[in-house]
Amino acid sequence: MLAAIAARIATALVTLAVVSLLVFALLSSLPGDAGDDEGPKPLPATFRAALRAQYHLDEPAVVRYGRWIADLIRGDLGTSLSSRRSVRELLGERLPVSLALNACALLVMIATAVPLGVLGAWKPGGRWDRAGLTLTTALYAVPVFWSALLLQWLFAVRLGWLPLAGIATEGATLGSLGAVADGLRHLVLPVACLAGGGLAYVTRFVRTSLVETSAGDGGRAARARGLSTLGYLWRHGLLQAGVPLLTLAGFLIPRLVGGSLLIEEIFGVPGVGSLMFESILARDIPVVLALTLISGIATLAGTTLADLLILCVDPRVRRAG
Amino acid sequence: MTSGWRLPLAAAAVCIGIAACGASPAPPPRDVRVVLYHDPSSLSLIGNTDQNSAQLASMISDGLVSYDAAGRYVPMVAKSWDLAPDGKTLTFHLREGVVWHDGQPVTAKDVAFTVAKIRDPATQAQSWAGYFADVTSLETPDDATVIVHYARTYADALEPWRAPLIPEHVAGKDSDFLTGGFARHPVGCGPFRFASYAPGQSVVLQAFNRYWEGAPKVGRIIVRIVGAERTGYEALLLGDVDLMAVTPDLWRESQSSTAGTRFARFVYYRLNAWKVDWNQTNAVPYFRDPRIRRALVLALDREKFAATVIGGLGRPAASSYPPESPWSDPSILPLPYDPVSSASLLEESGWRLPHGKRVREKDGKPFTFTLLLAAGSQEMADRIAAWMQQSLAPVGVDMKIEKVEWKTFQQRRKTHDFQAAMAGVSFDPTPDQYDLYHTSAAEGGFNYGGFSDAEVDRLLEEGRSTVDPTARHQIYNRLQQRLREVEPMAFLFQLAQPVLRDPRLEGVEASPVGLFQFAPGPRAWHWSEAGTGR
Amino acid sequence: MRASVSPVVAGGSLLGLVVLAALLAPWLTQDPAQIDLDSVLRPPSSAHLLGTDGLGRDVGARLLHGARTSLLIGFATGALSLLLGLPLGAAAGYFGGAVDSAASRLIESVMCFPGLVVAIALLSVGPPWLLALSEPVRIAIALGLIGWTPAARYMRGEFRRLRGSDAVIAARAAGAGHPRIILRHLLPRSLAPVVVSLAFGVGSAALAEAALSFVGVGISPPRASWGELLGQALHQAGRAWWLAVFPGGALFLLVLGCNRLGDGIRDRLDPIRPA
Repeated sequence: MLAAIAARIATALVTLAVVSLLVFALLSSLPGDAGDDEGPKPLPATFRAALRAQYHLDEPAVVRYGRWIADLIRGDLGTSLSSRRSVRELLGERLPVSLALNACALLVMIATAVPLGVLGAWKPGGRWDRAGLTLTTALYAVPVFWSALLLQWLFAVRLGWLPLAGIATEGATLGSLGAVADGLRHLVLPVACLAGGGLAYVTRFVRTSLVETSAGDGGRAARARGLSTLGYLWRHGLLQAGVPLLTLAGFLIPRLVGGSLLIEEIFGVPGVGSLMFESILARDIPVVLALTLISGIATLAGTTLADLLILCVDPRVRRAG
Repeated sequence: MTSGWRLPLAAAAVCIGIAACGASPAPPPRDVRVVLYHDPSSLSLIGNTDQNSAQLASMISDGLVSYDAAGRYVPMVAKSWDLAPDGKTLTFHLREGVVWHDGQPVTAKDVAFTVAKIRDPATQAQSWAGYFADVTSLETPDDATVIVHYARTYADALEPWRAPLIPEHVAGKDSDFLTGGFARHPVGCGPFRFASYAPGQSVVLQAFNRYWEGAPKVGRIIVRIVGAERTGYEALLLGDVDLMAVTPDLWRESQSSTAGTRFARFVYYRLNAWKVDWNQTNAVPYFRDPRIRRALVLALDREKFAATVIGGLGRPAASSYPPESPWSDPSILPLPYDPVSSASLLEESGWRLPHGKRVREKDGKPFTFTLLLAAGSQEMADRIAAWMQQSLAPVGVDMKIEKVEWKTFQQRRKTHDFQAAMAGVSFDPTPDQYDLYHTSAAEGGFNYGGFSDAEVDRLLEEGRSTVDPTARHQIYNRLQQRLREVEPMAFLFQLAQPVLRDPRLEGVEASPVGLFQFAPGPRAWHWSEAGTGR
Repeated sequence: MRASVSPVVAGGSLLGLVVLAALLAPWLTQDPAQIDLDSVLRPPSSAHLLGTDGLGRDVGARLLHGARTSLLIGFATGALSLLLGLPLGAAAGYFGGAVDSAASRLIESVMCFPGLVVAIALLSVGPPWLLALSEPVRIAIALGLIGWTPAARYMRGEFRRLRGSDAVIAARAAGAGHPRIILRHLLPRSLAPVVVSLAFGVGSAALAEAALSFVGVGISPPRASWGELLGQALHQAGRAWWLAVFPGGALFLLVLGCNRLGDGIRDRLDPIRPA
């Protein structure tokens, strides 16, 4: 078992290395780089050359990549080519914002999906089930930038209940509790938009897992004992469906560190989505690579966990395997 | 229970009464909140600066000179200057009593330090380094005098000296200028001192009470960083922003909505234009003939487009010397809308319309080209391109559109890998446009189309080395006439800057370089009523 | 089960409606590129049923022609995703073991890859043969290259199930070889998953294209696209509601139709789920 996990980690590292190499190669092959920005007057050739030399931009790509790997092994994520700040510092600013946003969205998603899933599994095909499915499918189909614009217009502009954009009210002096409350208020709309998208998937997942469990031996036995379906679901179903439910981790963990460019643009949230977009456009390779690593690690962790759990549980797979 | 509260209430009322009539301390001056659409790339005032950083820098620190509202030079930290007759030596005399935000006096050594930093590649001062390329040496015989030597006669010798000054005793301590303490907390000698920066959120500047020309009349300037123009506009409606430039679409919206009509508004023009570079290198055959370049512009009904789509907030451009430039020749007017002349010019140049076809041909090849444009937040660019395509079809020209992202666009322009390329361009108030038109500027300059004309080259060289203003005016008038004859690039529109402001905020003036980078600029802003502190 | 419209019918009808509108677009509406500077940003009226955009072009016309763009890109992307994902996912699910491991690692690598880099790269540069293709095709290739992993994973799951199904087990017990099993048992049963995958693929590709056009790196002007219309709406600050409501609504209906269709078929496939 331990050997299997070690092997998995080794392959994950190889995957990350290959992906980072490909991203590096792709970005380097695009026209332009971070050292060719123009000012209002053309720069003298020697000045331009010295500028580029600072970033080693004229060295062969292999050397530059090797340099990045060497720095990475030492724990140094490099310097941003556009803002000249350390990548670690940049990430330290943007990543917590995205984490907070995503964590809240995931909580809302789970808190809404579980009751909906239970309702659906209670009477599969029934009124609640179909209503729930329709609602979540509709939510999933709404383009996120559309809902963002509409919600923003309704709640911030028209009704004025919520702040328009940003993550904090600048210039205000609040105690730490007040600051948290202020931050949460700013996150309501972005979280609502983010949560809507994944709700369908999670609800369906919960519902299916519960239906399978309920139809299985444990469920039948409980109903034979006189327990109502709903009661069974709430008290035992979730637990027994627990392991399959945990395979949801493959879906949730990557979403924890991802950034949504659209949400960030519309709501003015300084997260990793807009950082990635700007960095690609600016050819800021160290930042793009660092962000790729982070989301890559999260994706791999999620899928590995999900796969391991599925292997333990799925009877059809075990039967066939 | 009933009578117990009357006495304290009465006492309270008396106290309030006394407080209201008595000598209450003056409330702190109100803040002004403005917007930026992007984080400043650097707070270091001169290093790695983009347009946003430059706006902030101009409030935090002064240069030796600046522009006034008409684009002429005015003394700032330098109280006077002398340019030698040969144009190669410039002597500044610094003003007394100018201090840094920490109280230390500004001296000539700081000027020398600033220049040294700008010319150091490690500072990455792309916005300023080009201006100082011709400075050979700089002397500081005493604390109040700076003598600059140029390699050649530099008629616009004052232009580099708008650069914000930085203090040697603060910035000199950093081993890495761009990431050191100064870049995190800049110290300047301008009307506002840097207070704080919350990335992605805001930059806060505080009024500097010991500013040499007098303290600003507002308390703080809070620069909110918003993602899009629309978000800024919504913030303006909600009262979170006091002053902002808007797009034509938002301007129209503000005129029709009840919330929007309460703002005071004005429109001004900056020294910029929307232009099309025609590739005249050997790669493309069409655009080497000036008649064709002229014909393509004649086919566009620019007045109508400006009146309808831009809502009157733009006008056809005539040349690279907009009317706001002190050097503009007023006799050069924008080309009219004349599709008949356009068609006949194309006929003259050999492009005939075969019977039954819609696209002109010459030697069996159709007149079809691709306009390259850059993806960005300039939504107007897409509309201009689509409109051009529709306008050129009736005169028998087939234009296609290709949109690529910014760096690709820049790279293709520089390497002349395009047929026609459309983008915005800004001009300085100085008349020297050598980098735009000279033959040598095709490699490494801004002459992306590879235009070349002997007379234009000669006039450009003469203009930048003639110091006498009258002679210069003659040269540049002749240049503008010659440019009108050959139309090297198409200057399509000048887009206006509409500005909305809280009606109680006064003293907001505009210059050809915008609301910020001139004197007095933000220093003159004030609230018309005695506001409460914010 | 109570009498109600089955999701397959509902979804299929919506999708069919959009397809029909897109196909009939040239006959139903005026020229979507026809600029009319005198009617810039007009609300819906008898002359322009859905209003006009920032250049006076009829929104209804651009909506229907935009449907063509969205569907073209949607189907092309869906097909490409299947082309890449079906063989890989099917092989992984059916053969299991080392094949599964290798395929899963490959799928994971692609999932880790930042899609935005690929999109921007393919849309701006590339070998001449790539640039010669029309823009919607280039976008479809970019989206397909990034987005084939959900199709692969879904196929992997489905073929795993099939591997363990009674029919296949019986066939194996009877001594049938792999080719025979694939031909007689798997291929017929993979039609439905393909349709499901395609349905979801079209919906998500349409959304992705709209998002790209919204942030400005998608379709070049003057081609009509729902994302481009929504992008115009963004700049209008809520005044030109018709620029947001109709394209957004159309996109919503398309994605809804695709998802319902996909859901419906997928639910029918899985015997454990009650009807």
